[in-house]
Amino acid sequence: MSTYLLRRLLGSVLVMWAVATLVFFMLRLVPGDPIAAMLADAGSEEAAAALRAKLGLDQPLIVQYFYWFGNVFQGDFGTSIYGSNQPVATIIAEALPRTLSLAALSFVIAIAIAIPAGILSATKRNSLTDNTVSLAAFLGLSMPDFWLAILLIIVFAANLQWLPAIGYVPLSEGFWPWLEHLILPAIATGTAFAAIIARMIRSSLLEVMKADYIRTAHAKGLSPGQVIWRHAMPNALIPVITVVGIAFALLISGAVVVENVFAIKGLGRVLIGSILNRDYPVVQGAVLVVSAFFVFSNLIVDLLYGVIDPRIGYS
Amino acid sequence: MTDDPIKADWQDAHDFDPRDPLFGLSRHELSGPRLSRRATLRLMAAAGTLTAAHLMPGGLGRAIAQAKTGGTLTAGWAGVAEIVTLDPAQMGQVLQFQITSNVLSGLTHINAELIAEADIAEGWEVSEDGLSYTFKLREGLSFHNGDAFDAEDVLFTYNRSKDPAQSIHSGNLANVASVEKLNDFEVRFTLKAPQASFLTKTTERASGRALTIVSRGALESMGLAQYGLTPVGTGPFRITEHQLGQGVVMERFDGFYDPERPKLDKVVIKPIDGAEPLAAAIEAGDIQFIGGNPVAAQLIDRFKANPDLTVDIKPAPGFQSVWINPHRAPMKVESFDKPLDELKAEKGFKVRLAIAKALNRGLYVQQARFGYAIPAYGTINPAMGFYYDEGIAETSEQAYDGKGARALLAEAGYPGGAGFPPLELIVRPSERRDGLVIANILKQELGITVNVATQEFSVMIDNFLKMEFDLRLGGSGGDYDPDDGIVDWMMTGSKFNGRTRDKEKYPFGYFADPAADALIEQQSITPKPEDRRALVQEANQITSDKVASAFLYHPVDVLIHHKDVLFPAVSRIPGLTDLDRVSLA
Amino acid sequence: MTEIAPSAPIPAERGPRARLGTSLAKDRKAQAGLIVLALFGFAMVFAPWLAPHDPNEMSLDMMQGLSWSHPLGTDDLGRDLLSRILHGTQISLFVGIVTVAIALVIGVVLGVIAGYYGGWLDLVIMRYIDLQWAFPNFIIAVYLVAVFGAGLVNVIIAIALAFIDDFARVARSMTLSLRQEQFVLAARGLGVSDARIIWRHILPSAMAPIIVQATVSVSYAILGEATLSFLGLGVEATTPTWGLILAEGRGFISQAWWLGVFPGLAIMLVVLAINFVGDWLRDVLDVRESL
Repeated sequence: MSTYLLRRLLGSVLVMWAVATLVFFMLRLVPGDPIAAMLADAGSEEAAAALRAKLGLDQPLIVQYFYWFGNVFQGDFGTSIYGSNQPVATIIAEALPRTLSLAALSFVIAIAIAIPAGILSATKRNSLTDNTVSLAAFLGLSMPDFWLAILLIIVFAANLQWLPAIGYVPLSEGFWPWLEHLILPAIATGTAFAAIIARMIRSSLLEVMKADYIRTAHAKGLSPGQVIWRHAMPNALIPVITVVGIAFALLISGAVVVENVFAIKGLGRVLIGSILNRDYPVVQGAVLVVSAFFVFSNLIVDLLYGVIDPRIGYS
Repeated sequence: MTDDPIKADWQDAHDFDPRDPLFGLSRHELSGPRLSRRATLRLMAAAGTLTAAHLMPGGLGRAIAQAKTGGTLTAGWAGVAEIVTLDPAQMGQVLQFQITSNVLSGLTHINAELIAEADIAEGWEVSEDGLSYTFKLREGLSFHNGDAFDAEDVLFTYNRSKDPAQSIHSGNLANVASVEKLNDFEVRFTLKAPQASFLTKTTERASGRALTIVSRGALESMGLAQYGLTPVGTGPFRITEHQLGQGVVMERFDGFYDPERPKLDKVVIKPIDGAEPLAAAIEAGDIQFIGGNPVAAQLIDRFKANPDLTVDIKPAPGFQSVWINPHRAPMKVESFDKPLDELKAEKGFKVRLAIAKALNRGLYVQQARFGYAIPAYGTINPAMGFYYDEGIAETSEQAYDGKGARALLAEAGYPGGAGFPPLELIVRPSERRDGLVIANILKQELGITVNVATQEFSVMIDNFLKMEFDLRLGGSGGDYDPDDGIVDWMMTGSKFNGRTRDKEKYPFGYFADPAADALIEQQSITPKPEDRRALVQEANQITSDKVASAFLYHPVDVLIHHKDVLFPAVSRIPGLTDLDRVSLA
Repeated sequence: MTEIAPSAPIPAERGPRARLGTSLAKDRKAQAGLIVLALFGFAMVFAPWLAPHDPNEMSLDMMQGLSWSHPLGTDDLGRDLLSRILHGTQISLFVGIVTVAIALVIGVVLGVIAGYYGGWLDLVIMRYIDLQWAFPNFIIAVYLVAVFGAGLVNVIIAIALAFIDDFARVARSMTLSLRQEQFVLAARGLGVSDARIIWRHILPSAMAPIIVQATVSVSYAILGEATLSFLGLGVEATTPTWGLILAEGRGFISQAWWLGVFPGLAIMLVVLAINFVGDWLRDVLDVRESL
């Protein structure tokens, strides 16, 4: 188990290194000069040259790369070069709780909808409920998340004015202000996730209920509820967990888009904004953290899989 | 502008013995904290910056009715996701110095008529030769962090700003030969050449930035990055909080030099990107005031119809153009240095002129700006009032004339646009719509194809400065002085004029005309307003006739706030949002 | 984003065509899906004739509501929304189909090579596939577009590359299991060339899950293109795309709700129809959705 864990961890770190390196070099080979943007309003050639030197952008690429990597190992991700001079670590540290808040709330909302929906439609197979759930899941999967975000803004923010249209308020300023800003984005982000999970629970439950031991449980006279919760669900959840891993990745990439519609400066917005502005240090840092998100959520799912299903050995 | 009271003011302002160091004013009249209208006008006259526009009614320092003090104003900053920096040495956008104008001081500050007034300087004297400016600083002031303010801070700011490694505005101090400290509260600037815009541009606290006073102590203790978020100054508000992407919180500074100001206790500034969220926020009352980038034009009528809102529209100090690359084939011009008639005989110039003449600016303003803009024919904007040439819409060669444009294009060998290669118009993402309207107009008028290519600002400005484009939509904001238009944009050596181009390949940038250069240089050192105006307008006419660019429109400055926000006329400086006199009903 | 893994191939009792027919008769969702797809296909081909106006023709009738001359209203530049959506079908569907075709060819080639030959080839290919697999397709597409720049060709390249890993994984796992099948081993024993074995024996048997994967991928590719265009990273042709129409209309939705509703509806309908059809194909071809 521990060698397996070690190997997986090493693999994960390697993936992150590979991605960071790829992005480092690719970004530097495309047009767009951050210094030109900084000096667009005012400044001279000398000013540009001085800034370039200060930021090390006049060094050969490979030198820049090793310099950057050496710093990363010391926990220094560099500073933003697009105007703000902010340490990248600070920018990411500020963005992280926003994305995590959004992801967590989307996850909770999605699961709260998906589990009952999935169970209902599995137990009442081919009923009206089942068909409705199934159709809703299809719709949820087919709706572009940014479009859903726009519709939610039209209805709940612009017309009914129940909830704010944009922005983020940290939890430290109160639970309701935090929640009220996140409800619409969380629905927009979580809908596809809920649809996937609901469908997975349904098909997984149906599969399990065909098994002999469930028939035995029924035959022993257990109530349908007991059968589902004690016997069917634990086994039905195994494939669901793997989907949660994939779907969680979907949730994060959904957050990237939705954050842009609701102007929440989370990781996604940092990532896209920095790529567009060619703010190399921020892109690098954001890529590393986003990569870590995906790589480690995959790892956790794999491990969870083993905990839930003892049949899986680690070797 | 020929009203008698104005004439009287004008004469009074100039009625002093030029050798009198106090400009015919008493010491009392010259001392702070607030200068009288008469004293200010006279100082302007002495500094050579007084213009008839300054004498228009509704002008200087009009006392406002006693308003209630206290309260919190929540403001939305339009069209921006995060306010990246507030360090004057790094700021490049109007939406940034709109904020710092409330936090940091300059030696001077422009007022609602674009006249420079004393700010942290109490007053100044100008030498006979116009080369030496001696500023008397206000005494007994301290920075928001408690450090005392004195002449050393001016020197520190100057040394920091002139260093290109520390400031992007070092170029704006190129004309300053030296700065000396005379005593703790007096500094003297010596210029290399007289400069009419010195007080409205170089020492200006908001748009100027090069001499916006920064705090030595705070820079040392906070470090550059934190100072960029929460700069410390001597202005009416101090920044207490700034999270990127979340916003800025400013609180009343009790040690401001005018104890009457500011009125508000607290200002919260939230960046809001996107037209719809902005509209939702102000309509729902989440914000009561809009600053930042210009509000999307489609919202203006909607806000005007809202009884809770005040919408105040003024000309904005800026211009937007379609820049035409003179080094690319169908509109190629080898040299602009020849008489207009000769130029007009050239094929490439005919194409340029055809494009400029085909721009139906009226339709453009209707469709792209929803009626909220003023057609432009040069860099000198209507907000400059006195220098603006009302007649240029008729006199310019660029004046809209579809038939004439088609005839020119046919003469150049492309009748009805036949055989004309498709051109690419580069625009910022937020200007895509504008680009589409331009492309449509050129298609309709000339039958030529223009493809709109959206580029991020960093990429677009890079291509523009390298002269790697066919057409580019873009221009300037915050142009308060004629220098901001013609010096910054229309001279052979202007900072935007192909600064990073391959000089072997392209001998000049988008425009180069020695005749225009000479006029522009001359106006810069001409103190007498009438004389300066004549030179400014002549230069403006040349750049318009020779199509330095196809000038498109001057934006309007729209101030939007809730009715219970009292925004006095004296604070209504185009492009700025000075909140020190603002109060809540 | 969903991977389709094969269940063990079941010897067909009846021909797959017959199964397709009978199951379609029972599957109402698939019927509806096919009809909707046929309609959009028709619109894609005949857009220039169906559209009541030139999609790029501007007028000062800006943001006019629904009317006989403008059935879906006009946009912020006075252009006819229905005509724009109809023309948008061309690029949106084109991008969806072309990207998946490219990804399918590259991915299947990589997957089959890796699965068939194993060894270091498998190792190298799988390292790359795993690297890409660690990230959602959309994130990869964003990276690639940001690096290459926007534009039709670049968006197609970005989306196509982003989907390669999905096809490679399916093809590899199918090849791995088929490699041990008796008929493949027999063919090898007879000295049949590798290329022929792959082409004649492995690919046909691996086709079912690949078809299902392709169907699902088309819907994701259409969504991906729309999202990229919406974020300003996408196609900037003179022909409008659905994502772009939504992006352009975004600043006007409270004055002209139709700009926010109809283009999104078009995207949703197509994606929904493809998902219905994909589901039906999965049932019919007996491909188990494992992830």
